[in-house]
Formats: sequence, structure tokens, C-alpha cells
Amino acid sequence: MTQTLEAVRSELAALVGESKITFEPAACAALAVDGKTPACVVYPPSAEQVAAVLHYAAESGLAVLPCRNTTKLNTGNSPRGYDLALSLKEMNQVWHYEPADLTISVEPGMKLGDFQRFVGRQGLWLPLDPRGGAKASLGGILATNSAGPLRLRYGSPRDMVLGLKIATVEGKIIKAGGRVVKNVAGYDMVKLLVGSYGTLGVIVEASLKLYPSPPSRATWVLRVGTLDKAREVRRRLLHSPLEPFRMTLLDGPAAALVRGSSRAPATAAECEVWVEVGGSAKVIERCERELLELGRAADAPAALLDAGEAEGFWIRISDPLAWLKDAYPDVVVLRVSLPIAAGEEFLGRAQRQMGDQNVGMAGFAGVGVVTVCLLEPQRARDFSGLVQRLRRAAEEAGGALVVEHCPWELKKGIEVWGSPGDDFEAMRRLKSVWDPKGALSPGRFLGGM
Amino acid sequence: MLWRPEDLMLYEYDALSSVRQPDAVVFPRTTEQVVQIVRLAARENLPVVPRGAGTGLSGGAVASEGGIVLGFSRMKEILEIDLESERARVQPGVVNLDLSLAVSDHGYYFVPDPSSQKACTIGGNVAENSGGPHTLAYGVTTNHVLGLEMVLPSGEVIHTGAKFWDRPGYDLTGLFVGSEGTLGIVTEITVRLSRKPEAVKTLLAIYDRVVDATKTVAAITAQGITPAALEMMDGFTLRAVEEATHAGYPMDCAAVLLIEVEGLTEAVEEHAQAVESVCRGNHVREFRRAKTAEERDLLWKGRKNAFGALGRISPSYYVQDGVIPRTRLPEMLEFIGEVERRYTLRIGNIFHAGDGNLHPLLMFDARDKEQSARVLKAAQEIMGKCVEMGGSITGEHGVGIEKNEMMPLIFSNDDLAMMRRIKEAFNPQGRFNPGKVLPVGKMCGELRVQVSAGGEV
Repeated sequence: MTQTLEAVRSELAALVGESKITFEPAACAALAVDGKTPACVVYPPSAEQVAAVLHYAAESGLAVLPCRNTTKLNTGNSPRGYDLALSLKEMNQVWHYEPADLTISVEPGMKLGDFQRFVGRQGLWLPLDPRGGAKASLGGILATNSAGPLRLRYGSPRDMVLGLKIATVEGKIIKAGGRVVKNVAGYDMVKLLVGSYGTLGVIVEASLKLYPSPPSRATWVLRVGTLDKAREVRRRLLHSPLEPFRMTLLDGPAAALVRGSSRAPATAAECEVWVEVGGSAKVIERCERELLELGRAADAPAALLDAGEAEGFWIRISDPLAWLKDAYPDVVVLRVSLPIAAGEEFLGRAQRQMGDQNVGMAGFAGVGVVTVCLLEPQRARDFSGLVQRLRRAAEEAGGALVVEHCPWELKKGIEVWGSPGDDFEAMRRLKSVWDPKGALSPGRFLGGM
Repeated sequence: MLWRPEDLMLYEYDALSSVRQPDAVVFPRTTEQVVQIVRLAARENLPVVPRGAGTGLSGGAVASEGGIVLGFSRMKEILEIDLESERARVQPGVVNLDLSLAVSDHGYYFVPDPSSQKACTIGGNVAENSGGPHTLAYGVTTNHVLGLEMVLPSGEVIHTGAKFWDRPGYDLTGLFVGSEGTLGIVTEITVRLSRKPEAVKTLLAIYDRVVDATKTVAAITAQGITPAALEMMDGFTLRAVEEATHAGYPMDCAAVLLIEVEGLTEAVEEHAQAVESVCRGNHVREFRRAKTAEERDLLWKGRKNAFGALGRISPSYYVQDGVIPRTRLPEMLEFIGEVERRYTLRIGNIFHAGDGNLHPLLMFDARDKEQSARVLKAAQEIMGKCVEMGGSITGEHGVGIEKNEMMPLIFSNDDLAMMRRIKEAFNPQGRFNPGKVLPVGKMCGELRVQVSAGGEV
């Protein structure tokens, strides 16, 4: 930052008002990323003010990180610069809500939990269980395209966004998509922004598809024991007429932790496959018959989970960082995306890589996404080598590994995103179209973009 | 390669209209050959226009500024099928239905089902981000494509996305699907395969008043029932369809809804009952359930051949593709009726009603200049109404050369400037499919549309 703080303060005050800026150390420290603390936090209350702040920052050579509730702020390379935290906390408005059309337009600062309560009054929901859970803001969920196990049935945010308004560093507000459920007019800039991790523009309004929430849901646990059996059960389930909402394979330590033990078991425990189904009472009954039968046929007995407990367990499964960090403050979360067929095999290789490292690992294999939690990474003799070996295993299985959460000290020696491919130059061109001066989340994304 | 004028004639049109002949048509077999052609075109400064089966309805595959047409009919290999991972990798010339047939015995299919699916190619679907009746529940092409191999105007080959979800980096696949060949030329596509549902029920609801049918659509959505498909045809369209296909539609009604529910047997039965009770609550005259697969196929045959059927009774028609919030269908239908009367035209209404995607067909005789002008004005009014209701100018047919001048109706100068900059980042000389998607500044004063029988939607 070349300007004096006083100059920045008066410029920003002119844009958003004195009360929407803070230089207070505690407020700034709360939004620190990888040891870098912003000099100032701005809370613009309107889309126009977000655009104005971005424009000012870009023109003044200030680096900006958009944020809200910090559930995913750790993801990414350490920022090259970090002058302003642009908090979307004050942007919580609902603009258009058409429950009969199953559509809504909202501002990005609204938290998922509040949003679900709001649309839940009409029996609707946004079928997402992203990391950050109820605390995650809609803007953050979209910026990271964060989807949990519900993706199996409903897809990811990418499939639910009808349109966006995006504030750019030029100080403009760009519209992408629209508010109707079907729309192929023009380039699909929605897809470009969803999952761009705050490096292109700032989402200031999102139009979303809503879904009727199912009358009831039920979770079954199949005790599969080994990974081989897990694979067989997964194949049978995906090939059955059942249309599960969520499915995940928990390795022994993951199963024990999710069920509430505060420490991972030292000895190898049994793997479990969890399946959630939903619908009317008749549908659930049918699913029960099928699951019991499938469990018998595969020699993996199925048991119904207590309905009161199930939702809490699923929250833990979709957002392990939130609760693991109490017992394991240095926990590292790796997210591995794979062809569906490769999940169990990768988990097995990951377990073998842990070997005698004494790190402790809990693995959750969803359909096509494996989450590996390294519980005590500081105990690894060679942490960066371990991550490299896991990444190689992911790539050999036809997938990719992203370091989703990692304490700063450990992050220094590793690649967060892995190596870019032959489409990287195309991505860089897009970055320079949207953010030519590199003001937004500089250096945080793939390849230091 | 084709270069004789009589051969090139075949390539001067798609299902929208006939524009002009390309200078040459080339049929590459490999990505490498596409690269060579693209490099040659760069050297000679010629436009390059990719083309699948030419079934598009917005002129995306016609060489409106001449140049080389890249015909993909010889790149039609299914390169890989991985059922356990629910993925396939195909060349762009693979016919949409052929992919579904290739995996059908194993219980899988490729979801996007444009009515032209027996002919249209997956490359074309990707270019236009095509839909179809069953996109109501499962999304359009973009929701089923995970990765692309693309040749850029420089001749550079890139690979976007992957067989797995969320490859790190920007979602270039999502940006390129629907870009109508203006950013790059797709030479390979990784798609998602879906499991076929256990049960399907096809329902036909027959109405004496159009407004009851449109109210039913709004009520079905509002009650949270998501059918796999929810189609509407008005009486005029229906009679033409029935005469052409003998699908068993009633000849004397005002509108029908063709509704499909699918999934687990138990769920399907419940949804069918729920749909029936909504229909009954909205004065349905008769509610039928297809009893056999043959009956079901017949009902769909009627729907999928509706455009052809209308082509039999009118020398030309203009089909629109606007989208509105589905709760406003009753109001919209009334408006279209009023436009029909004011302009003394015949308009057939055939809609993907469940997602508010309208296909009004305006009948006319293209040889009659005065009539053509009237049709254009009427079409503009209908489109204007869609926009006024907060809708879109295209739900599934793409922009092409048909609607590029209408883009300012829904996008501001700033929005369009951003799209232009994205285009320039990939296609700076504008040689890839020139004149498509973005406005070029010509007025839409002439109806470039002279569709005759055969177009499908």
C-alpha cells in the first residue's frame, strides 16, 4: 500500500461512509489470511458501493479480498498482497422471491442457515450441504462452488445459479444469466464466476433455483468393513433403482470421530457406507427393503440411524474442519476429486501413504470426491513430501488434489492447487479481462493467478 | 472436402434459414486435421464455422460471412465409455441419440434430448447448450458436460475440465458450452451419463380452455411437484399434429398438457396422482395415462414432430424460444392470443411449459412481403413481453444470427462489453463463427427466417 492510511480512510469514507470502515486491529486480525492482516475492513451495504470500493482499490493499487464469515477464507495460496478486506456482511437483502416459481434473488452476505429458514417457510430449500454449513454465506458458497454429499442427487451450486450480478474492478455491475430457470442467451459468465474464488469480480446478487424439500429422509449405515466391500456396495447402490440423496464412505477413524469420540481410534476400525434416502413414507419403506436386501446380498448389514442424530452427523461429514479443529487445531483438509470408480482405491492408497507417519487420518469418500483430514500434520516427518505423494496418487487415479485448509506454517512448503494444465493460458487471459491490475485476491488461485 | 457450388448449396442453411454458401466444406477426421485447417484459415484470413447436423434453430452453423465450414460428420467416434464412473468421451459428430443407445442396455442414457436427437450431434448440443423436453428436471447440456478438447483460433489445442468434478481453475467448460463456436472449436467432449429411472408414467391432460391448462402448469410448479417433462400444445397445433401423426390426440380441445413423471415406482405413482388432482382442480376435461410403451411413444412422437406437422399446413413459420417465469403462463397465452388477433396471424403454441420456455410458431408465407413484415412485428411484441416479464430471449435454441440483435433487450452495454472482451481474449480477429451471439449493429429489420417443414424442437 503506497497511500497513507489517512488517505485511504477518507477516500473509502467518501464511498461508503465512515461507519462502514474499520481500521481496528481486532476486526482486521479476524480476517487475516496466512499471516497477512488487512489494514482495513470495508462493509459496503449496496452493490453500487461494492463496485465503487473495487474500482477505487484497483485504481489505487490496493489488494482486496472479498469475504464474509471466513469459513473458506483459508483456501488458496497466500495472497501476494492484502490491503482491504471487503466484507459482504451488510448485504443480506432478498430482492425477488417467487416461491410459486421456485426462484429467488438474494444478496451474497446471507448465511445459508438463515436462507434455509427463510425459504423453508414455504417448504422449499436450496439442496446444498457445503463446507461452512449453516454459517457459510451464499456468496462464499458460490465463489468456491462448494458442494457436499448432497451433490449426488442435486448437483453443485453451478447447477443452481440462474443468474448473477457481479461488481467489477472497473466499478461496474455486470449481469450474467437471468432470473428464469432456462436461459442460454450469450456467454455463460455465471459458470465462469462460480468457483472463481473471488479472483474475477465480486458477486453482489445471485438468482437461484429452489427445490421443494422432501417430506422425510432416512439414513442407513452399511457396515462394509473393508474398502473392497465398500466398492462393491457403492456399485450396487448406484446401479439400483434407488436414487439416494447422499452417500459417503467413512474409513474407521472417520466413522468413530463422526459418531462422537473425541480422538481417532489408534487401531484400524471398520469402514462404513452411509446412505441417505428421501421422499414420502412409501418411498422410504421401499428404500428400506432394498437397502436391507442389498446389505444381505453384499454381506454388509444395514442399520437405520436414529433420525434425530442423522442430520447432525451429516453436518459433520460435509464440514469436518468445523468440529475437528477443536480436538486437532492443526488439522489439514485435502479435497480429492476423482472419477467415481476410483474413490475407494484412492482412500486405500492414502491410508498406506500415512504408514508410520503417525499423523492420523480420517477419510470420507463421497461419490467422486474424497476428503482426507490429516489430524496431526505437525507430527509428519516430511509434511510436504506426504502431500506430494498423495497428490501423485490422486493424479494417477485420474483425479486432482486441492489443499482445502492448512495452517500457514505448513502451507509454505506445499502447492495448494497442484499444477495447471494446457488451459492455463486461457484462464490467465480471462483473469486479465476481468481484473487487469490484479487487485482481487492476488496470487491466491491456481498457478498464482 | 466440397467446393462445387451444387454441393455447397446443401450447407447454406440450417433449420433456421438459408443465408449464403460457404466457400468450402471440409470434413476432418482428427483433432490434428482441425488444427491444420484452422491454421490454414488463419493464414488466408478466412472465417471458420463448425457444423454438426445443421438442425440448429438460430443459424449457428451457417457460414453467414462465407469461409470454411468444418463438417463434423466424420468425427463420430465414441472414444470411451466408463459406466462405473458414469462418463463417456465422444467426438463432436456423435449423434445425440446414438450415445444413449450405446449405453441403454446397461441402464444408462445421456440426458439432453432435443427433439432433433435422432440427427443432431453432441458437438452441436455443446455449441448451442441445447435443451429438450426432459431438461425440466435435469438441466440443459451444460449440466451434463464435464470436459472439452478445444482448438483455439491460433491453432492451439487445450483441454478443459476433466472426467471428475471441480478441476482446479476457472470453469472454462461452463464458459465454452453455449458459446456457439465463437471462442474455439470443440473436438472432444466428456459427458456425464445418467442412470435410467426405474419407472416412467406419461400422462395426457385435455382441456377445453387454454387458461385451465396454463393454470395447471403454474399449480404443479407451485405445489413442488417436479415432473421430468411438462409440455403444452394448443388446439390449433394439436389438430395439425394429429392429422400428421395420428398419435391419438383429441381434435376438438383447446389445449393438452403432456406430462411425464419418473423415478422410483412408488414415487412415480404418488406424483402421477398429485398431478392428476391438480389437473382435476383446474377443470381438466379428460386425464389419460399411457398404458403401454407404444402409447407413450406415440404421444411423444406427436410432440417431437409438431414442427414438421405445422410445416405441412403453412408454407413458412417462425419459431420463437422466449422464456418467462412459469407462473405467468396464463397471462402470456392471453397476450399471444391478442397479438394473433391484432396482426391477423395464426400462431401455434407449443411450449416446454414446465420451465416457462415458449415456442410460439408464427405461420406465414415468406413470399408475401407484407405478411413477413407483420410476422416480424408480432414476434418482436411477443419477445418484448417475455423480457418485460423478467424472462429471456432464448431458452435452448441459442442466439446465432437470429437473436444477436435482440441481446440488448436483456443485457446492458456493460454486460455486452464484458462478453465482447471475453470473445476478444479467445477470438481476437473474429474469424471463428463471425456474426454470431453478439450484436453486430445491423437492425433486425428483415426476417432472416424462412423456415419450412422439417425443423424440430
